[in-house]
Amino acid sequence: MTIVQPIQVKVAQATFEEWDTLGVNGRAEKLQKSLSSFTDEQQKMASWQIENAKKSIAETRVMPGPTGERNELSSQGRGPFLCTSFFENDKVTTGLVGQVFTALIAGNPVITVGQAGQDIMDKITPYVAEGVIQNIADSALDSLIEADHLAGVATLCDDTQAQQLSQRLAAKQGLICQLIEETDIEQLSTIAKPHYILRFVTERTVSNNTTAIGGNATLLELGSMDD
Amino acid sequence: MFKAIEVLQPNFIERPLNELWQLISPLYKADEESWLKELLPLAKPTDQELKEQTDSAIQLITQVRKDDDSMSMIDALLLEYSLDTKEGILLMCLAEALMRVPDKETADAFIKDRLSVADWASHAKNSDSFFVNASTWGLLLTGKIVTMDENKDGTPANLVNRMVNRVSEPVIRKAMNQAMKIMGHQFVLGRDIKEALSRGKGYRDKGYTYSFDMLGEAALTSDDAVKYLLSYEKAIESVGKDTYSQKHRPTISIKLSALHPRYEVGCEERVMTELFTSVKGLITKARALNVGITIDAEEADRLELSLNLFEKLFRDESTSGWGLFGLVVQAYSKRALPVLAWLAALAKEHGDRIPVRLVKGAYWDSEIKLCQQRGINGYPVYTRKESTDVSYLACANFLLSEHTRANIFPQFASHNAHTIATISCLAKQLGATSEEFEFQRLHGMGDALYNHLIKENDICVRIYAPVGSHKDLLPYLVRRLLENGANSSFVHRLIDASYPITDLVDHPVTTLESRKSLANPHINLPGNLFDDRKNSFGPNIEIESEWTPFKAKIDSFMGQDKQWRAYPIVGGEKVETGNTHLVQSPYDHSQTAGQLDWADANTVSKAIDLAQAAFPAWSAHSASERADCLDRTADLMEDNYAELIALCHREAGKTIQDSIDEVREAVDFCRYYAQQARSHFAAPTTYIDFLGQDKQAQLKGRGVFTCISPWNFPLAIFAGQIVAALVVGNTVIAKPAEQTSLIAMRAIELMHQAGIPTDALHLLPGDGATVGAPLTSDKRIAGLAFTGSTGTAQLINRTLAARGVAPVPVIAETGGQNAMLVDSTSLPEQVVRDAVHSAFASAGQRCSALRVLFVQADIADRVIPMIRGAMQEQSVGLPYLHSTDVGPVIDKKAQTILLEHIEHMKSVGTLIAQSALPDFADKGTFVAPTAFEISSIDQLTDEKFGPILHVIRYKARDLDKIIDTINCSGFGLTMGVHSRNETTCARIANRARVGNLYINRDQVGAVVGVQPFGGQGLSGTGPKAGGPHYLQRFAIEQDL
Repeated sequence: MTIVQPIQVKVAQATFEEWDTLGVNGRAEKLQKSLSSFTDEQQKMASWQIENAKKSIAETRVMPGPTGERNELSSQGRGPFLCTSFFENDKVTTGLVGQVFTALIAGNPVITVGQAGQDIMDKITPYVAEGVIQNIADSALDSLIEADHLAGVATLCDDTQAQQLSQRLAAKQGLICQLIEETDIEQLSTIAKPHYILRFVTERTVSNNTTAIGGNATLLELGSMDD
Repeated sequence: MFKAIEVLQPNFIERPLNELWQLISPLYKADEESWLKELLPLAKPTDQELKEQTDSAIQLITQVRKDDDSMSMIDALLLEYSLDTKEGILLMCLAEALMRVPDKETADAFIKDRLSVADWASHAKNSDSFFVNASTWGLLLTGKIVTMDENKDGTPANLVNRMVNRVSEPVIRKAMNQAMKIMGHQFVLGRDIKEALSRGKGYRDKGYTYSFDMLGEAALTSDDAVKYLLSYEKAIESVGKDTYSQKHRPTISIKLSALHPRYEVGCEERVMTELFTSVKGLITKARALNVGITIDAEEADRLELSLNLFEKLFRDESTSGWGLFGLVVQAYSKRALPVLAWLAALAKEHGDRIPVRLVKGAYWDSEIKLCQQRGINGYPVYTRKESTDVSYLACANFLLSEHTRANIFPQFASHNAHTIATISCLAKQLGATSEEFEFQRLHGMGDALYNHLIKENDICVRIYAPVGSHKDLLPYLVRRLLENGANSSFVHRLIDASYPITDLVDHPVTTLESRKSLANPHINLPGNLFDDRKNSFGPNIEIESEWTPFKAKIDSFMGQDKQWRAYPIVGGEKVETGNTHLVQSPYDHSQTAGQLDWADANTVSKAIDLAQAAFPAWSAHSASERADCLDRTADLMEDNYAELIALCHREAGKTIQDSIDEVREAVDFCRYYAQQARSHFAAPTTYIDFLGQDKQAQLKGRGVFTCISPWNFPLAIFAGQIVAALVVGNTVIAKPAEQTSLIAMRAIELMHQAGIPTDALHLLPGDGATVGAPLTSDKRIAGLAFTGSTGTAQLINRTLAARGVAPVPVIAETGGQNAMLVDSTSLPEQVVRDAVHSAFASAGQRCSALRVLFVQADIADRVIPMIRGAMQEQSVGLPYLHSTDVGPVIDKKAQTILLEHIEHMKSVGTLIAQSALPDFADKGTFVAPTAFEISSIDQLTDEKFGPILHVIRYKARDLDKIIDTINCSGFGLTMGVHSRNETTCARIANRARVGNLYINRDQVGAVVGVQPFGGQGLSGTGPKAGGPHYLQRFAIEQDL
């Protein structure tokens, strides 16, 4: 059976590299422009996620180690993320905004679902490149969940829905698609936590032998340093 | 530690040679403070001597500075482009690589990369040297051209610039290549020995003589070694025929690592036979032509090997009675003085004088870096420059002593006016005549100093002169120059008239004694590399005093009489299930390492019951208490180092260095996660939530974690997963790979011994069906850490998801199709060394191992034959032997898959090389390292987990397509890049979707807390093991 891959995932993949390469601060600059379109609570949630990302994943971390090599740890987006909710109310929409902004600020292109997703997309679209955020109809949700190359699904749902979704994602071939579920739709106790953003990123270590052509400037400096 | 001052007693060198030999190795990483206290009295002058030495140095420097021609071109170049400036480094980078780049596109891109980021204008006209100024203007102009912004407004100047930009690239390239040739001309005396002899006549007229060296990279292949041997032979013949001046005949310096592709302690047998024969041939020829030979110094790891070889050659009949066979000793080595004493005793015993060149040392920073990387708790070299100078003078004192100089002919190599003046004074004080020693200097450096010395004294000064093609020699020479740190060197300050002479004549003893500590406090010992935790320790297997006692401990676990017996451990009890399996050694299936009982369904169930029940109590412990258990585990692993290494050999077929690295990684995991837990789990974190309210959150354990680990890192990954889960507060059930459960059981025993409660940690050996399936289908499992194949990870994920409970964290590290990209600016020798190591070390059974090497087509015809040659030098064999590079693969199943792939590739690719297998290969599961050239990565389907390398040529302009292709594979674990072009490296780093990217080095051996490890896409879920975000995934974050 030939599975028709949704075009949205391909579009998201095409725009992923450019969006991810902007870095947290570059993305924050664009996303912040959209904040005023959201309601007060949504705006606070979105803004909080942006600021949290700036604090926790924006900086490339230089790791300690031997002289003569430079080891850097940084974060990248994972790839196309589906952000969706199985419920509808103001709190849930705030949570959905939180998911979308977290996924976006982490470097991922986002696909939202239905009218709630459309509303969020419309507010962000003017400020980001085409394909960074897209929306699909509710009817297309199943095919998107089944799509190859979907890096993750962030959802507001209940426990049963989370289990079902988890089983569907696990049944797929290919990469292990991340399920990031919020089942506390009253308190949003997962979404609004400092470490939530880490679920949306993948990390990269770059190890550079800075003495490949010879010369270890750091060491020479230490060697000739006065007490 | 012996009393250093005793070497000045004439009878010291009359001791038995073996007794003196025993003094050498223990000083390899001697405590710097203690040893320097021993050396200082040998270097310390009396007040009268100090005055004489200082006056003499002042006089020499004053004379040199008066001389208008005091600066050689290289001196001038180094003064202007000091190596502590960006421009200096960039200039050296260009010199190192540009001439070898064959294609225009890459050369132009490289020039642009190097020249566009520096301030060349600031150097214009600063120097009095025509050569330097000409270079500066060239660089300035070129730099401006290549940095033009085409979007700038169209002023006439910019218009002209833009036009130049369009038409001038060939001109720039030509000019730059010409500049590099000029630089090569300065550094290298001649492109061949004939030219060198001819160019050297001027200096010989002044009274100098030469020691020529066919310098270059170390040989990686037998072909390279033969090439160097021929080159040395020709040089000896030419120098032998030279009749220009008979007063001080030129000599030849020989680099042993150029004459044998495996000049290493592990290959001692080959060195003492094959290399011995080569050098003996050179000696015979040289002796017949009366051309002295000096063996050059090598890295600290090879010192003892060099001395052994030297002794064998020196005692050989071909050398006996000659007196012109010598070697180089490096004063920065803590072993220098006992080496000299041993040489003096050897000469005395044999009756022939040994010429010894005393140098300060050329590999200082790489020696320090290597020890830090390997966790060798100490350094073989001094950490202060003045300490090396003290050692130099202490050695000189010994060498010039009457009883020594009868046996050794000292040759003092230095460009430091104070050292030279001090040696001259010392010689006079000790009654040494100018016939009894000589000075040496490098070609192109220190001209003025020695011109004055020769004029004032009737003394021999020998110039050490590199000979060879500029293209081949420049990379090597630039490395040496950079490593010598000319910015702090005496040469630099000598010719800088603004630098006070009084500051140049400080005696090193005075300087050193004025320091608060004799060792440099700014250079931490490898054990103290990290501020917040102890680094793991690794013995140096190349050093006799380190390796011999360590090996003896391992050997006590290597006999067949030592058998381990493993069981499931549940609640601290060993459970006999009757399902017993023999554990065969992968290198010889007739040998066993022990027996193992697999767990059954009841054991699995009981372990989960106990772990579930233990969770509240264990998670109630403070993070600090749990972390303490990890630290104790680390210490216990180091206490049981030898047994763990023996298990790595016998159960997993791991080689010696791989086994050491394995234990180190496990130890590092324990200490790193302990430190992380103390930092992030000890107390709640305060934050302001999105509504502006103050909140407190605490990271806590989730419950029972399952840890499923692979056989390729049977201790490190096994322990890493477990201790991460535990320290967070989870209880753990560990399922090791069925092939490597013996070492797993020892690790669990050590963890329990360290204080981890027996009901909080359980071991369930067995296969996927018996243990894995029931363990992952149980609803009580709160999370899983897995390392293994992508397919198994997917299967486990499905099983966990199917349980009908809330989703739990799955932390999976899986496979890769790892590539290395090599462009034409890279140094082929480094590429081949790193590629061969990345592909074949650990028999290719590393997640990070190189599978696909992409080589720019322009250099492929040079790189591929070198890979072939290097593979022919790989030794496949018994993993517990030092001579073995590649051990067996883990089992028959793995072997079959790999051999089938090799057969398949023979039909679709072109075989580059296949290393030889040992005669006994059939006894175990060996797979010969094999390399194929293929046309596209699409010819590969999935990862083949073994020593098989695929090589693909690519065109420079297709680099982005190559990255796209690699990204499209879906795997994203490791990638290597070899390029001197930083723009290229950054471009690849930005575009490649991989977890770990390595630039200009090998791509295996990630270090915990330094290079957090893990992939993306099909290669893993993250977060990275050994990284700052790993523990959080094992925990839940709860508001308080």
